[in-house]
Amino acid sequence: MTHKSQSVAYPYFVVSLLLFGLQVLMGLWLATNYFATVPQAIVDAFPFSTARAFHTNLLVLWLLLGFMGATYYLVPEETNSELYSPKLALIQLGLLSVTGVVALVGFVFGWTQGRPLLEIPRPLDFLVVIGALMFLFNVGMTIIKAKRWTMTQGSLLAGLFFLAILYLFGIPFYRNLAVDWYYWWWVVHLWVEGAWELIAAAMTAYMLMKLTGVERRIVEKWLYVELGLFLFTGIAGTGHHYYWLGAPKYWLAVGGIFSALEPFPILLMVYDTWRDIKHRKEPMKPKLTWVYLVGGVILHFVGAGLFGFAHTLPQINYYTHGSQVTVSHGHLAFYGAYVLLNLTFYYFAIPRIKGFPGFEYDEKTGHTGFWLTALGVLGMSLAFAVAGVLQTYLERVQGQPYMLAAQPIRFWMFVAFVHGLVVLAGVFLTIKHLLTLRPAAQPATA
Amino acid sequence: MSEKLAKIIFWGGTLSSLALFLALTVDTHRQFDALTHADRLDEQVVAGKRAFEKYNCNDCHTILGFGGYFAPDLTRAYTRLGEDAIARRLQAPEVAFADSFRKMPQQNLSQQEIADIVAYLRWVSHIENHDWPPQDSTRRWKRSTQNLLASATLSPGAALVKQEDCLACHKLGDAGTAKGPRFEWIGAKRSAQWIATYLENPEKLAPGAAMPAYAHLSPEQRQLVGEFLVSLAASHGR
Repeated sequence: MTHKSQSVAYPYFVVSLLLFGLQVLMGLWLATNYFATVPQAIVDAFPFSTARAFHTNLLVLWLLLGFMGATYYLVPEETNSELYSPKLALIQLGLLSVTGVVALVGFVFGWTQGRPLLEIPRPLDFLVVIGALMFLFNVGMTIIKAKRWTMTQGSLLAGLFFLAILYLFGIPFYRNLAVDWYYWWWVVHLWVEGAWELIAAAMTAYMLMKLTGVERRIVEKWLYVELGLFLFTGIAGTGHHYYWLGAPKYWLAVGGIFSALEPFPILLMVYDTWRDIKHRKEPMKPKLTWVYLVGGVILHFVGAGLFGFAHTLPQINYYTHGSQVTVSHGHLAFYGAYVLLNLTFYYFAIPRIKGFPGFEYDEKTGHTGFWLTALGVLGMSLAFAVAGVLQTYLERVQGQPYMLAAQPIRFWMFVAFVHGLVVLAGVFLTIKHLLTLRPAAQPATA
Repeated sequence: MSEKLAKIIFWGGTLSSLALFLALTVDTHRQFDALTHADRLDEQVVAGKRAFEKYNCNDCHTILGFGGYFAPDLTRAYTRLGEDAIARRLQAPEVAFADSFRKMPQQNLSQQEIADIVAYLRWVSHIENHDWPPQDSTRRWKRSTQNLLASATLSPGAALVKQEDCLACHKLGDAGTAKGPRFEWIGAKRSAQWIATYLENPEKLAPGAAMPAYAHLSPEQRQLVGEFLVSLAASHGR
């Protein structure tokens, strides 16, 4: 840490980690609903739909708070100046946290916009927009005042700017369901396969520069290529969500071709990481930070790239669309691409914010946390994948009614639940480790 | 690779994809009205959409394949179940799903809201979306009509269905009315024995169903109707 105001990132990390824990707990309850019979009285009071709104909104909120915290950490160092207003950053955190809590409590009482992932009611949407504007203003003013522009922070800021703009398309009430979903994907798809990829690429590039000592010129040159490919495949690739919603047939071709190319930029990101490690000028320390960084890049490719490609072609998607196959892909992709990205950044930034000697920390429980979580999520995604293939065959190909086909899937949802318990243990250890990070017993001499 | 080339890749890739995407967006908007039959999208349908959102139906059910995967897709719920069966589920889910291992919450919808949601699902069922989902595909229903015609003269069950005018309320292939559930769907879900018992006194197995009793048929005849319905199922996976 070179600037005092960078430490404003820390409370963002803390809040986001607590929300992460709650998200995983809610996930276990969702899985329970799939394999067990929840009595009518409980279903009436707290239906699956409300629990799902919790699970997904907590995910989005904690990831965004992590991105914003990371930006507040990164921008002062990139601009070589203090943050415009650390106080505003804290007010913004308060506002977004309160909005989040009010939204969750509201869901329990049926206050909802009633659209998946965008359940936050419209009045609260405006508070979210105000929070986003405070954030963009704060970061923008820091950059303008410092008059120092780098490619890395440009990519990060562009990602966060588009994220805010695209959110607006999710606010109106659409009369026509097909039009509704058309723009719903402008938020959901263009976030995770557009704006968020800009953020992920920038955060990864920044950490690689700091950790390996590889020249900025080289890292940023490849960042341009990565982003160009991400956006080339990602924007028109939105079409893979337009196959079956009542849009013209050409989306089958456009969506199929562009989204089939989507794994390539992720593969380039894997290659870039490998090349930077090969040409590193610093030792790969602390080890756990590297485990996270490399693990994240690999699972980003597997979860988003390979699992996504597996059901993106229209010929396959006709049978798998809206089944547990999507659930399998969704879990591994979010974990690999964005959960690990944030956790890597926390392990990178917290020792610096706390000023540990050599930025090294006591790693022990962190490793256990990583492997329990990673293997748990992987096992869970594979269990969902089996459930998805079963559902696809029984319901879609054979034509069995939904609830009949759901019967043999119950076992695999139980398997997913058991892996979920492993994830919960791993996440608990990871959160505890991050919140109580201690310097390494013997500080590095380097 | 030079830095200049890297920048060209960035701007070229981004702008070309964006231009294509926006151009197709404009064209898609020009076609949406025809593909979704927007002329039938009246105020009751919109009210149904609002009710659908108010009760957060979409976080358990998918519609057009999007949403929660916890409950059946609703894109073609109207052609599969018909309006009476949908209304009955919305009115009293605790009764309709009493035997199911998965429950639906009782959210105390008003009669108006139930009618609006039925109208909404009727409109949705006509959206032209390349015949998705496969389990409710029109092509599949058409095939079952052909099977029926091929075997009708040999099947006493089919003759009974015709004699009792079941298609005045139920759908079968292209024919019939979407008041009650579609025969292929019933056949895939139930056993012949269950259907025979149901025909004798529907109220016993599905309280509140609009279905009249067919107690005037003999047990053998009811069994024949049941066997005929089961023979229509797209699959026999049970």
